[in-house]
Amino acid sequence: MSNTFKVRVNGQHELTVDPSEGSSLLEAMEAAGLETRYHCRDGFCGACRTQVKTGTIAYINEPLAIVRPGDCLACCCVPTSDLDIDH
Amino acid sequence: MSYSTFNKNQINPLQEPMFFGNSVNVARYDQQKHSVFEKLIEKQISFFWRPEEVDVSRDRVDFQNLTESEKHIFISNLKYQTLLDSVQGRSPNIALLPIVSIPELETWIETWSFFETIHSRSYTHILRNLFTDPSQVFEDIVINEEIQKRANDISKYYDDLIFYTQLWQTHGEGEIEVDGEVHNVTMRELKKKLFLCINSVNALEAIRFYVSFACTFAFAERDLMEGNSKIIRLIARDENLHLVSTQNILNLWQYGKDDPEMKEIAEELRDEALAIFMKAVEQEKEWAHYLFQHGSMIGLNEEILCQYVEYIANMRMEAIGFDAPFKQRNNPLPWMNKYLVSDNVQVAPQEAEITSYLVGQIDSSVSASDLGDFEL
Ligand code: FES
Ligand SMILES: [Fe+2]
Ligand SMILES: [Fe+2]
Repeated sequence: MSNTFKVRVNGQHELTVDPSEGSSLLEAMEAAGLETRYHCRDGFCGACRTQVKTGTIAYINEPLAIVRPGDCLACCCVPTSDLDIDH
Repeated sequence: MSYSTFNKNQINPLQEPMFFGNSVNVARYDQQKHSVFEKLIEKQISFFWRPEEVDVSRDRVDFQNLTESEKHIFISNLKYQTLLDSVQGRSPNIALLPIVSIPELETWIETWSFFETIHSRSYTHILRNLFTDPSQVFEDIVINEEIQKRANDISKYYDDLIFYTQLWQTHGEGEIEVDGEVHNVTMRELKKKLFLCINSVNALEAIRFYVSFACTFAFAERDLMEGNSKIIRLIARDENLHLVSTQNILNLWQYGKDDPEMKEIAEELRDEALAIFMKAVEQEKEWAHYLFQHGSMIGLNEEILCQYVEYIANMRMEAIGFDAPFKQRNNPLPWMNKYLVSDNVQVAPQEAEITSYLVGQIDSSVSASDLGDFEL
């Protein structure tokens, strides 16, 4: 059984993400051809910081970079609901 | 309040603030007030590398074939980076260890500074390969005006905090006259100096390296100076960790998760913190101008580098609670990212580009039960 979620990016792109496929939110945006921000891709630099306007995420790996309220780190998380994000 | 290398009082480090509480006595890491620093130590140690492991011998030939303006860019950047790591290899220790109050942060500071000394050693490794006698390059660092301007802004907040801490440790709070100048030493004043110092270090590691990094990787994009580029990749990876540590400190203060007085100070000095960051951005742009004064290099020019500084600055400033001040939201140098990825995955170890191959990363999650069946 797989659960897919709708992810709206920057108010204009709509992606369908299947977290069970094991790719991060960052990889899902890249697969859809969006320009992404990243450096380490390993949760410790904070470059992929993304604003979560609505919805919830879960971390695949616990990040070291600081996550301020309302933000997530796209390189190491997956959606756990439909999302509206600014990246 | 004088410093003791082993505080005899019974203290509970879980109740101490990060700084200006009781000095640390037992170095224990089984419990942590702020576990992020323990995780940073583990991550940083897993990144251990030695400059000598990176073969830079081919760079010598490449260097001789660079144009004069490219040589100027390459060497100036190395000088600037040597300055930055000279400061960073000692200052967190000297400024922060006397005032730190929790063991995991104390050890993080030492680990952090130690890695800066690896960076410094790697510049010697690079320069010794390029020049029979690199003295002239090193000596210019304390003469070169462009570098001096930056050195002053980088070291002054550290120096100020160190001086006031020394006064406080020898005289306690109060008015203290030194060389005819009266200094009003109060805990509030000390904490303000600490706050500005951490902001200045944060700005340093957030953006001050990135103009030089961009030049290094622009050479690598043309298959030039690749040994140097491998070393800079390792340095960039370490720098990201250092940056995250000061971002964590600043956020813990801002959100009132540590010393409540630091929360007040963070609000009170918000504009000054912003000004420190903006000045660093300006200086990086001026640095780009200085680098390209004799001509630019393929793939880079002053304008695009300045856009990159703005792009990075936006990202870094949002991480510590400022609004992004610049319009530059797209990455003007998309190829930079591939040099900044921390490739933990072993793809093909024989490929020298894979940083994890160069440094032998260790999986730190081995537990006692994994070793249960081993007998010697
Ligand atoms: S890319 Fe570094 S934290 Fe996500
Ligand atoms: Fe460094
Ligand atoms: Fe550093």
